[in-house]
Amino acid sequence: MSGSTVASIGFLTGVRVIARREAAQYFDSKIAYVYTIAFVVLANSIFMNEFFLTGVVDMTAFFTTMTMLLPLFLPAVTMRLWAEERKSRTIELLLTLPIRPIVAVAGKYAAALLLFGMFLLGTVPIVIMLMVLGEPDLGRIAAGYLGLFLTGAMFLAAGTLVSSLSADQIVTFVSTVLVCFVFVLTGQESVVAVLDGLFPSVEFGTTLYESFSIRPHYDAFVRGVVGLPSLIYFLGLSALFLGLNAMVLERNRE
Amino acid sequence: MIKVESVTKRFGATVAVDEVSFEIGEGEIVGFLGPNGAGKSTLLKMMCTWLPPSAGRIAVAGFDVAEQPLQVRRRLGYLPEHNALYEGMKVDRFLRFMGNIRGMGGKHLEERIAWAVDKCSLDAVLGKWIYQCSKGFRQRVGVAAALLHDPKVILLDEPTHGLDPLQVVAFRDFITGLREGRSILFSSHILAEVNSISERLLIINHGKLLADTTLESLAKTAKSKNQKLEDAVLDIVRAQGAA
Repeated sequence: MSGSTVASIGFLTGVRVIARREAAQYFDSKIAYVYTIAFVVLANSIFMNEFFLTGVVDMTAFFTTMTMLLPLFLPAVTMRLWAEERKSRTIELLLTLPIRPIVAVAGKYAAALLLFGMFLLGTVPIVIMLMVLGEPDLGRIAAGYLGLFLTGAMFLAAGTLVSSLSADQIVTFVSTVLVCFVFVLTGQESVVAVLDGLFPSVEFGTTLYESFSIRPHYDAFVRGVVGLPSLIYFLGLSALFLGLNAMVLERNRE
Repeated sequence: MIKVESVTKRFGATVAVDEVSFEIGEGEIVGFLGPNGAGKSTLLKMMCTWLPPSAGRIAVAGFDVAEQPLQVRRRLGYLPEHNALYEGMKVDRFLRFMGNIRGMGGKHLEERIAWAVDKCSLDAVLGKWIYQCSKGFRQRVGVAAALLHDPKVILLDEPTHGLDPLQVVAFRDFITGLREGRSILFSSHILAEVNSISERLLIINHGKLLADTTLESLAKTAKSKNQKLEDAVLDIVRAQGAA
């Protein structure tokens, strides 16, 4: 008789193994370095431009502008996650291993979060510079970073879901950019006004702003307010996208 | 070890597998023969839990593929038809990943990797990126990954695809040596290949199982009709067309 191995793997161990493979993929292919350098250069340039214009020891404008940068950068991080697996057919290999689809989803998501964390670490010199130059409100800055991280985490979850729907990385990238911008633009005053004007009886723009857009929640973080409803909004939507992603993988196999 | 009961798979209006039933016991090596598009890969994809059957039931090592897929996957070694591998990984890292995700680690994993590398002759490419490997080496990497956890049930879809004649002979000896305590099902569209590895043969065409026979019995039929083994198989396939 053979001494067959029938080992099982726990949820967190599975996530760690998948995340390590995905993270190695980012670094081996140099994607991690290129994206991080590009993001850090752009983000720091945006801040310095605003800083020299206003001369205020504050990061509010930086955080506000970041909501326009994330929908362009983060889809590039997630576009390959499942689309590449589908195109190269490794998805069959991965999903016939003894792990649940949610483990694979969470592992890939964790690797994407790690890369996003590197992006944000690259902006920490701004905080250090402000501390040298004056007395910034560190509590407010920390809340702003938390809001930024949660927004990015939600966009990454949306991107991971979208990536599972197509084998084409370009289609995945463009679709995710659109999805992310819908969350951002429904919070723009001009967009809210136009939508309210189109559907005045239901105040469609205001309804979207209050119930769907990231803006009221994100702005609260930027003001230094960490509220439970906003935490639930970001974490809940991220969990929803990841759960839907696992469902898509379970059903869309043919 | 493998029990397939009245299994059907439909893709829309197309019936890819039609009411197929068979059993494979411990210690058996069974060849799955049929032309391209016969339904071999679809059936293997259902047995490995990748595709759900539209009707019928499949049990692997006593576990239902639809109800207990994780239990099945833990006991299964599967080489898919196209043997898609992670191109951007080195061979040793890929094997380690495949072991880790199956809950293996430490000395045990290192021993199993050493065994798989030896049996599949992968020393020369161990530190290479998978995209740098030739087709034959890639196929052997896929086989090594499928057998790393010492599975009781082994499903190999066109395992000798891309191997040169010497490698095919080595592979045949390797697979034959794995027989004890295991059930092995491998697909091919080449009779000589099936003939050299297994004693039992499943012939499938247009999704239907046309014959579940031994090579000995097939050889007797061929001899009685004074024909080659290939012609005996073709007779079975043609009989389906006539029906």
